[in-house]
Amino acid sequence: MTLTSAEGQAQTRIALVDLVDRLLGSGVVLAGDLVISLAGVDLVQIRLHALIASVRAEMAEGRPR
Amino acid sequence: MAERARYVYAVSAGLPPDALRGVAGIAGAPVELIGHRDLQALVSDVDLGEYGEAGLRRNLEDLGWLEETARAHDDVVRAATAAAPTAPLRLATIFLDDEGVRRCVEDLYGDLRAALQRVDGRREWSVKVVAKPRAQARASAAAPTGGADYLRRKKAESQARQSADAEALAAAERVSDAVTDGAVAVRRLPAQDPRLSGLEGEMLLNLAALVEQDAGDDLAARVHEIADAEAGVDVVVAGPWPPYSFATLETP
Repeated sequence: MTLTSAEGQAQTRIALVDLVDRLLGSGVVLAGDLVISLAGVDLVQIRLHALIASVRAEMAEGRPR
Repeated sequence: MAERARYVYAVSAGLPPDALRGVAGIAGAPVELIGHRDLQALVSDVDLGEYGEAGLRRNLEDLGWLEETARAHDDVVRAATAAAPTAPLRLATIFLDDEGVRRCVEDLYGDLRAALQRVDGRREWSVKVVAKPRAQARASAAAPTGGADYLRRKKAESQARQSADAEALAAAERVSDAVTDGAVAVRRLPAQDPRLSGLEGEMLLNLAALVEQDAGDDLAARVHEIADAEAGVDVVVAGPWPPYSFATLETP
């Protein structure tokens, strides 16, 4: 097994993918004055599109893994 | 001068006024508290061009922008969580003025209170179980001696694969049981794409666990213990985080 753990660090920084998952997928949903049309599925799709597009761009640049 | 709007990070109960001193919000803006009844909305000014509907549509596609906004949001939420029960809001909750924020807190007061009570003194931990990528084509070392030999090998490979899958799933099950035992609440989140998570292999489990503040290390230790005994999976434990996955309102 391989085990990765973030414990031991006083302030554990969240990986961006985990943070964005949470900030767009959960948390309190207040119907703000402007974001209603962005709520829900649309927003998740936007997010995935953005992230995957950016990862693909990195791969296309031939960045070593 | 650009039009301004109010970005709301979170709602807290009993947050001391100086708890966020020195904590910068989005674009370095100072974080202010809008009090309503016994709750405080954590807000800062943002540019309506950037955070209005058209701006958000455009900017959410920009990973650099998304990261900057998400990190600033997280910084504020963390600082607040350390000082008082705090319910984080979703990214980019925008109001045109303070009155709109107060009205919304008033409308959802009961639900906010319930959410705050649920997360009080608790933190979120993440536990992921990923099946290790299989060693590919070990059997191809020597060419098959004939059709029957080929089929025999194929069958053996398929059986080995199935048993590895079953073992990995059983391991995930054991981890899941341990997390459930040690947590106040558990949510199963969608598996992440390996291209995003950076973890190779299929993600079998992506759990968010709400854990009493003083029980997090025990939970992590227990999961480590189980993971040590499993050869076929990688286990990733992270935390403590603000209770992002558990602040959802019952009636959004």
